[in-house]
Amino acid sequence: MGSKRTTIYVCMGTSCDARKSRRLQEAFSRALKDKGLHDEIDVSATSCLGYCDEGPNILIEPENLMYHNLNEEDVPFFIEEHFIKGNRLENYILAPGNGELKIPDMTDINFFKHQRLVVLRNRGRLEPDSIDEYIAMDGYAALSKVLEEYTPESIIVEIIDSGLRGRGGAGFPTGRKWQICRNAPGNEKYIVCNADEGDPGAFMDRSILESDPHAVIEGMIIGARAIGANQGFVYIRDEYPLAVQRIKKAIQQAEDYGLLGDHILGSDFSFTLKIVRGAGAFVCGEETALLASIEGKVGRPRQRPPFPVIKGLWRKPTNINNVETWANVPHIIRNGAKWFSNIGTAKSKGTKIFSLVGKVTNTGLVEVPMGITLREVIFDIGAGIPGDKKFKAVQIGGPSGGCLPDKMLDIPIDYDQLVQAGAMMGSGGLIVMDETTCMVDLAKYFTKFLYEESCGKCWSCREGLRRMLEILTKITEGKAKEEDLDTLRDLAEMTKYASMCGLGQTAANPVLSTLKYFEKEYILHVRYKRCPAKVCKALINFYVIPERCTGCMRCVAACPTGAITGPRSEPHNIDQSKCIKCRACYEICKFNAIEDVIVDAIVIK
Amino acid sequence: MIKFKLNGLEVQVEEGTTLLEAAHFYGFPVPTLCYHEGLSNWGGCRLCIVELKQGNQSRIVSSCTYLAQNDLNVFTNSEKVVKIRKTIIETMLATVPTSKIVQDLASKYGVHRVRVAVENKDCLLCGLCTRMCIEQMDGKAIGLVGRGDSLKITTAFDKRSDTCRLCGGCIYICPACQIRCIGPNIEKDGPICNACANLEPPCLDQFENMMCYMDPCVACEIGTEKPVKSKL
Amino acid sequence: MAKLSIEDLKNLRDTMYRKMTNEENPKIIVHMGTCGIASGAQEIYDTIVRELTQEKINVTLKTSGCAGLCSREPMITIQLPGKAPVKYADLNPKKVIKILNQHIRNGVPVADYALAIGSETTY
Repeated sequence: MGSKRTTIYVCMGTSCDARKSRRLQEAFSRALKDKGLHDEIDVSATSCLGYCDEGPNILIEPENLMYHNLNEEDVPFFIEEHFIKGNRLENYILAPGNGELKIPDMTDINFFKHQRLVVLRNRGRLEPDSIDEYIAMDGYAALSKVLEEYTPESIIVEIIDSGLRGRGGAGFPTGRKWQICRNAPGNEKYIVCNADEGDPGAFMDRSILESDPHAVIEGMIIGARAIGANQGFVYIRDEYPLAVQRIKKAIQQAEDYGLLGDHILGSDFSFTLKIVRGAGAFVCGEETALLASIEGKVGRPRQRPPFPVIKGLWRKPTNINNVETWANVPHIIRNGAKWFSNIGTAKSKGTKIFSLVGKVTNTGLVEVPMGITLREVIFDIGAGIPGDKKFKAVQIGGPSGGCLPDKMLDIPIDYDQLVQAGAMMGSGGLIVMDETTCMVDLAKYFTKFLYEESCGKCWSCREGLRRMLEILTKITEGKAKEEDLDTLRDLAEMTKYASMCGLGQTAANPVLSTLKYFEKEYILHVRYKRCPAKVCKALINFYVIPERCTGCMRCVAACPTGAITGPRSEPHNIDQSKCIKCRACYEICKFNAIEDVIVDAIVIK
Repeated sequence: MIKFKLNGLEVQVEEGTTLLEAAHFYGFPVPTLCYHEGLSNWGGCRLCIVELKQGNQSRIVSSCTYLAQNDLNVFTNSEKVVKIRKTIIETMLATVPTSKIVQDLASKYGVHRVRVAVENKDCLLCGLCTRMCIEQMDGKAIGLVGRGDSLKITTAFDKRSDTCRLCGGCIYICPACQIRCIGPNIEKDGPICNACANLEPPCLDQFENMMCYMDPCVACEIGTEKPVKSKL
Repeated sequence: MAKLSIEDLKNLRDTMYRKMTNEENPKIIVHMGTCGIASGAQEIYDTIVRELTQEKINVTLKTSGCAGLCSREPMITIQLPGKAPVKYADLNPKKVIKILNQHIRNGVPVADYALAIGSETTY
């Protein structure tokens, strides 16, 4: 008989691999040969079966049976029982009768299926306050590997080879940054973890610190070893009380175990870590402002160069990385640069965590490999827009990122591609907007946020944002002229090019990207005084469309000012002088009978 | 010595020289507002921006805070710089139209229109006074407080400062307080004065072809019949 | 606590790993990130503690950070010894009591409230 009848698939996912599934596979091949079954039963490796907690797992086809928790020693017994005697070994069978229970499998749920967890691999599994559990999941193994096998230089080479780029936004290669800092003159060096995550709707760093604080600490110890720093700081905003509490406790535990402090793990390397709590100024996420804040000064950016890696905290070389970047480091060391560089695209390696929020069905934290398209993230993982609404735009990269329309959704997530599209990776906020979002109003909101959070040093940023806000307000109130759009562009250009720090230089992005992709909407506001999303109150008038109105009286009951009148079963009427444009009737009508003037009829040349 | 290119010219400066100092040394005019020789460099007004070009890439930086480095390629008056500088002056003019220094800048750089709402503020928040107070007068009485919308120059906790000696250094250095432009009737003519840039200033009748060296020009102030703002 | 050496760390890892993977009691993980707490995870946690102390059932009750799907919080994960973990979403105390009755006591997951079975793919 040529074809084999049965195949044993042994899971070779990283988790099962760590639990010696490779030896299990060998044991199976050996045992089958011993019993003379190797012609009938094939042994093959497979990728992750999804039950990582239960590994090592095997799948037997065509029976479609999953067994778990097998040891090498169990194999001969297992083959004897299962294949020769034909008994199912109930103790080892995984997944309790899924068919009858109708509980979907984790790997079948779109939200989880498309994700690839590296940094978040311990999410929802570990007690964040327990260092022992972290150690059980191979925590601090990378640190001991580094202390035993690596020189500081070879750590840097490993990080450079991995292609890891800063996850804080700009995407500077992490290894090169470390190298510059290591080679910078001076004996005293510092490293800093930037946990001042201030973007509205972004919570990646908070979640990492809350669920796996030790990964950040381990990454920082390895980084300190590579750079030659003996003192580190975690700059965390005080608005994250839980994260502060957990990282504090984690540092305490690491100190108790001798993983922080003098002579780490009996080596000659010493490193201490301090927490600095920030007062929550958005601008303190900018690295030079952050350093000023740690020094006890006003958080205000200064001119670079000199860059912090040359002259940072107290004029000493200082390496700053974002939480997610630090948390990637132990995984790269443990699994090797090659493993890491296999994930992602040519220039952006690894995974990226996004906080998916806004008008999307599944909101939450998603970790995806670089190179995945925005469409997959929003429509597969996020399950699209709730209700029957149409997708309009996604804002990527926080307030200073950009808004991308539907036609840009197929670009892969990659530092350079996003910048080309007029957005940026940012720290990873993804705000999804549907057709009920007015882009002018949105630009106004973010410009206001950025103006209020601008440190105010540069005229171009402070006044540029204030004047842009002034014009945007005029547009939403219907008082703007078409020339104002040119002024808006000039102001945005001034803010973008003339400001000193990264925040100022990107502060015009909400305006620039909406002007680029949604110019039609601006023109509708300015020229025709209409707001297609029905958000800008001054520009909408609600009317009843008599053909659609069934006279159900729902809107009459909903109207807070009594502006809608009309007998039952006859088309209602809205008294414009009483209408306060609260949208209550528009939202409640089941027949789409309440409408603004049909804007689609307006043709823009 | 540091060698770099300034407007296409090969130049040499000592280490630690800012691009602004280098440009002024070599005679290239670069406007400034928050810069003063006796004070630390701040980089707030952004008027002194210059363009750094490298291949296809270009960056705009404030020359007063950017130290000269080898192999830079600096342009003090590129098209981009001039355009942005005009927008900056335009917004300054709309915010503080009574500042003679800003009016002069507007005349000099050809800002003939103001497209944003005209306000009548008295402060540009350039921070000259705070640096004057701290660095030259050893006063530490005033500072920049808050950020964004609430940024202002004030004493600690808005209370009268114990360290303030009423030396007046802050007023002396202020580009808006000390030298007032009495020109524009904002309600009537808009915020642009341009009287000083007039080719036939009123003093010519009396002083013939003499060059005016008064700053501010007393003759100009007396000679005009423009309405004097009540604050003066 | 004594300072660890590299050898100690490895031993500790193995001990802890065995302890974690050979749990004898059912394991309940309440996902308590900020998102979970904001949507009522503390109440869920308290309910579980109250129920368990009343009934004197041995379980390992743990907390952890966000499980990722913030819009479906509060969530818990229940893993019976030797079985795949089951995640429950959109919980309230009433549902939790039912889950405890059915899943912990009788070993049958509550399909109506369950989000998924199994764990996430890592790496």
